[in-house]
Amino acid sequence: MNCEKYQNLLSDFIDGSLAQNDHHSVAAHLSACAVCSEARDDLGAIAAVCLESRGQYEAVPNERALWLRISNIIEAELPVASRHAVPANAGWWFRLMNRSWRLSFPQLAAAAVVVMIVVSTFTIMGLREFRFAGGAGYQASGFAPTIGSGNLKDRYRQQEQVIAYWNDRVELNKARWNPQMRETFDKNMKVIDTAVNDSMRQLTQNPHDEVSEEILNAALNDKVELLKEFSAL
Amino acid sequence: MNFHFPVTKNRVSFAAFPALFLVLVVTHSSLAQQRVSRHYPAGKNVRIELKNLSGTITVETWARDEIRITATMEAPAVHFNPRQTDSGLVVDIVGDNRDRRDVGDVNFKIQVPARSSVDLETRSGQISVSNIQGDLVRAHVWTSGDITLSGVNAARVFASNTTGNIFFDGEFASGGTYEFKSGQGTITLRLPANCGFRLVATAPAEKISMGPFSSGALKTLGQGRRITGDVGDGRASVTVTNYQGDIKFMRR
Repeated sequence: MNCEKYQNLLSDFIDGSLAQNDHHSVAAHLSACAVCSEARDDLGAIAAVCLESRGQYEAVPNERALWLRISNIIEAELPVASRHAVPANAGWWFRLMNRSWRLSFPQLAAAAVVVMIVVSTFTIMGLREFRFAGGAGYQASGFAPTIGSGNLKDRYRQQEQVIAYWNDRVELNKARWNPQMRETFDKNMKVIDTAVNDSMRQLTQNPHDEVSEEILNAALNDKVELLKEFSAL
Repeated sequence: MNFHFPVTKNRVSFAAFPALFLVLVVTHSSLAQQRVSRHYPAGKNVRIELKNLSGTITVETWARDEIRITATMEAPAVHFNPRQTDSGLVVDIVGDNRDRRDVGDVNFKIQVPARSSVDLETRSGQISVSNIQGDLVRAHVWTSGDITLSGVNAARVFASNTTGNIFFDGEFASGGTYEFKSGQGTITLRLPANCGFRLVATAPAEKISMGPFSSGALKTLGQGRRITGDVGDGRASVTVTNYQGDIKFMRR
């Protein structure tokens, strides 16, 4: 056993209520341990005073009333102390953060409802903005023109730069192709260009036409892929 | 009345010219073509990848656990080096002939076990696949060429070209993915009556015919340019896109 466990047994040791074996064990430890022996002496002195003074003190007439008064004093002093903790020249943020907030349940519920309404409103507005800004375009892979948020031709021009790069590479090699391959390539590129132009025309008339937007997206991707494939020839 | 042509030496000689010419033409064309056939052992779930430059690709199934690939090459003949991999066979005509400017067409005929997966690609030419029941059937023609997929029952099917028809005759597996896309041509899907799928069909030319699969569960969008909705249980995902041609559904 360590000292802590012996000290837990000291009260029973002084009262003489320990079992014989435990009593001998504690006594042997106390004879060897100065710390525990000192603790035993202190505890013994307290017990002796208590025994001597038994029945000599007067009971409080109304204990409950006394505790209520003490409690009221403590509660009354707490805010005063915190208020005194805020310096007179403190800023608004310091005062706000050091302020004590006490809200009733209805006030708390009302605050929660207001927060929910504000968050929902901003979320809906954000989603609507995303959709009008061409959110549907992101469903398709690759180039996603944001038709509603800017000029269609400006957006298309960005993709045209990519197309122009690959087109230059194709043109470099094209002279070496046989006539049949050149004819096949040109014929098929024309099909894709027609799809691009038709979609552009539709989108000029109706900028929010999702079908045309997706077709334009797909056709431009097809065009880039076809150019890439044939640029290696 | 009997006609009698006296046979002279000159007449025999004149009659022999066309025959001689025909023999020369046939001989020349057969010499211009080179035919190579190779066999490879295969498991039942083998995968074939083929990238061709130009020419037809025909894939058929047979009852043997082996792959037979026959290439008919026109002059100048391509380098033809099939490679066996852990999963099957790779034939990359594009990669093997990257530095060669002018090569002839190659027509492939491939025979595989029915449970095979096939991934086929060509710059131009027709692709025909029949009776495949593996996991994947992919057929892509970069430019012009019809695609015919018949008796196909695969979990994933992708068929696309720029110019040419696409014909699919097969079944859609529950949970499967099926995509068909053409720039200009007719896409025809011939399906069993009890077929179930979720459809997104888009044809800016407003030529989508659902035929016997029309139902109230399908929605028409964009002034008839798109049809979406469920047919039957809607468990397969089907996307059909045609920039300028028709989309047709037929019952088997």
